[in-house]
Amino acid sequence: MSASERFIALTLAWTVAGAALAGEASPERTPVGETSPESTPAQKTSLDQAPAHKTSLESAPAQKTSPESAPAQWLERMNRALTTRNYDGTFSHWHGGQVEMLRIIHRVQDGTVSERLASLDGSGREFIRAGPSLTCYLPDKRTVLVEQRPPQESLVGFPAVNDQTASFYDIREVTHTRLNRRSTHVITVSPKDEYRYGYRLWIDDSTAMPLKTQLCDRRGHVIEQIVFASLTLPAHIPDSAFKPDVSTAGFQWLRNESGPPAPAAATLAWNAMRLPPGFRMAARSAQTLPGSADPVDHLVFTDGLASVSVFVEAQRREQADQPAVPESAAVGSSSAFSTVIDGHKITAVGEVPPDTVRFIASQLKAEEPAAVSSRRR
Amino acid sequence: MSADASDLSLVRRVQRGDKGAFDALVLKYQHKLVKLVMRYVRNPAEAEDIAQEAFIKAYRALPQFRGDSAFYTWLYRIAINTAKNAVVSRDRSPIEYDLDRNTEESYDMQGRMKDSETPEGLVLTEEIRSTVNAAIDALPEDLRTAIVLRELEGLSYEEIAAAMACPVGTVRSRIFRAREAIDRRLREVFEGGLGRAEELG
Amino acid sequence: MNEELDSQLSAMFDDELAPAECELLARRLSRDEQLKARWGRYAVIGAAIRSERGVLDAALAGRVSAVILAEPALAAAQGARRAPARWWQPLAGAAVAVGVAVGSVLWLRAQAPFTAAPPSAHLTATVSVPAAAVLSAAAAGAADSYVVPRAPAVRAMVPSTELANYVVAHSVFSSPVGRRNLLSAFMASESGTAAEEPPVEPEGNVR
Repeated sequence: MSASERFIALTLAWTVAGAALAGEASPERTPVGETSPESTPAQKTSLDQAPAHKTSLESAPAQKTSPESAPAQWLERMNRALTTRNYDGTFSHWHGGQVEMLRIIHRVQDGTVSERLASLDGSGREFIRAGPSLTCYLPDKRTVLVEQRPPQESLVGFPAVNDQTASFYDIREVTHTRLNRRSTHVITVSPKDEYRYGYRLWIDDSTAMPLKTQLCDRRGHVIEQIVFASLTLPAHIPDSAFKPDVSTAGFQWLRNESGPPAPAAATLAWNAMRLPPGFRMAARSAQTLPGSADPVDHLVFTDGLASVSVFVEAQRREQADQPAVPESAAVGSSSAFSTVIDGHKITAVGEVPPDTVRFIASQLKAEEPAAVSSRRR
Repeated sequence: MSADASDLSLVRRVQRGDKGAFDALVLKYQHKLVKLVMRYVRNPAEAEDIAQEAFIKAYRALPQFRGDSAFYTWLYRIAINTAKNAVVSRDRSPIEYDLDRNTEESYDMQGRMKDSETPEGLVLTEEIRSTVNAAIDALPEDLRTAIVLRELEGLSYEEIAAAMACPVGTVRSRIFRAREAIDRRLREVFEGGLGRAEELG
Repeated sequence: MNEELDSQLSAMFDDELAPAECELLARRLSRDEQLKARWGRYAVIGAAIRSERGVLDAALAGRVSAVILAEPALAAAQGARRAPARWWQPLAGAAVAVGVAVGSVLWLRAQAPFTAAPPSAHLTATVSVPAAAVLSAAAAGAADSYVVPRAPAVRAMVPSTELANYVVAHSVFSSPVGRRNLLSAFMASESGTAAEEPPVEPEGNVR
């Protein structure tokens, strides 16, 4: 790893989309030199020279003439970088006119993933992952959630780009440009229907880290954006980096330390009768969630890029006579939808448009276990 | 031209219950206010919090604002007081990440991040600045002179008219056209104009 | 785009517009989000030209706006003036009126229900979900200490513990980029409401 690879000093991170869409301005604090209007020629030049840098990457695809798979390879490289590298970065997250600065620290050491994501200027929330343990600090609710995942899950789970993916998205490299003084490949992932979102990704030539990410709706409008303001790729990150800043005195702790229950083989098996095109079931587990003793069925559907989780819980007795009121929610551009089917509360959550979670949740049905295997694919 | 008529018209609306008009005042002055507060606190996040508090205090106090002074002067005083109180009552030191101490290359980063938290290190981000600057660069000279005299030197239209030897109406039109041209570039960047934003020249 | 209007806006921004025209334009500006966005960008342009050394955070204007929306209008004698529809407004308003606190099972931003119910009906629907579910579950679980936060009324917008659970559990199965978006949005989801809390600093609550 070269020194430049280890140390990327990015200087912009202006969440530009935010200003236009929300009518608000939000450049961030960044270390850049003094520039008066008179000095613009230099800056202009640096922008104009966008594709000047060729990179050390052996297979940097040439525009247009590259094989179709090249952009998809960039996606894979990016996924690998995000999941296997050590990094420590500050980025802005823009959605719906709100801009938030966050810090992410990610480490893979001896096969164990540690990750910390902290809101720097808003809620003070933090998310910390230490191997199988996921902890969510919610100072605004004076609550800490601790979820233990099965240890074998530690490095798996995310969808992989494959041929199936390619038939539901148009994946292209649109340009090779400079961003924050780094050479980047700009890859667009455009959905072919309305069931998924698209991405524009500025992927760093030498590290394959996405320096800027835009989530776009079907028409290509930016609805969520992440831009790194600074990023380092340290060889070592100490354990102390993964300690929360939140003081938890007086907080309630909700855990599922009892661990996941045995797979509910004997009970009803849930599956979706129909799925949006390209989605398939990728995982299924029975688990408990922090703060609850009741088991939850967790089904995961994916098209290779986007994924949707469906949680199925038996309604509590006191809820049974409540009218079934479907509810919708959004977390950024991700969606959630909850409804009641056959005495079970069904909740779908995913980084997809609202219609997709609604579609999937309403297609859930309990089946005899025997019928499931034939339908699973 | 009566000074402050613009702000006053917005203030009067807020006083009559129109909250949307307050948005416009915040949009107009948020940059100045944060910059002002940064004289008292070094942590940008804290400065924003204080600026926010000042705006909210101003909103609540607005019924008492009679327009004896300019709105910004009044807002300025509220912000200064808020910042001073915050500094006095602050009982905990700013949070610092000490995680990077072990890694050599991170020292560098840490150093830079700290630099960025001093007022001297804080500037608009480069992307927005270079977009604006490139757009200004591309302006015809009369438009460029007009907008720079206005925004950088703070001259009134009348003073600019004298300096440029043209009617006031021409100044107004030049400044507007300059803003339009710059704004068009900004919006291209904002609206995710891929390949346009990055290839601005 | 109406050029004459924008030209007036530019002059008003510089405080070079006649007072009578200011009155008219201020009225329009307060209601027209696009115009307001342009006005905000004019401010950015000025700050950029001056290389102003300040932190410019879009969240600031948004946060102030969110807080102000929850405030009483200064002199709302002339009947309710319709502000532009924003997602947090009807919900926050209704919640303040009825005093719904922690319990709603969902959510962060309750969207319009599929049946086009008026806000009041929507609120009823939200309340009808047993509010105690999360808390009673918490009491039954292994809680180190148990503090029920006395949530201010606006907390109806806060995502429930349950949503947090789902988001966290789902995140394990997301693509790396999707996951980061989701978790970032979740971390940031408080920014609209945080400022509405009373200004007292809860002990031990460090950002």
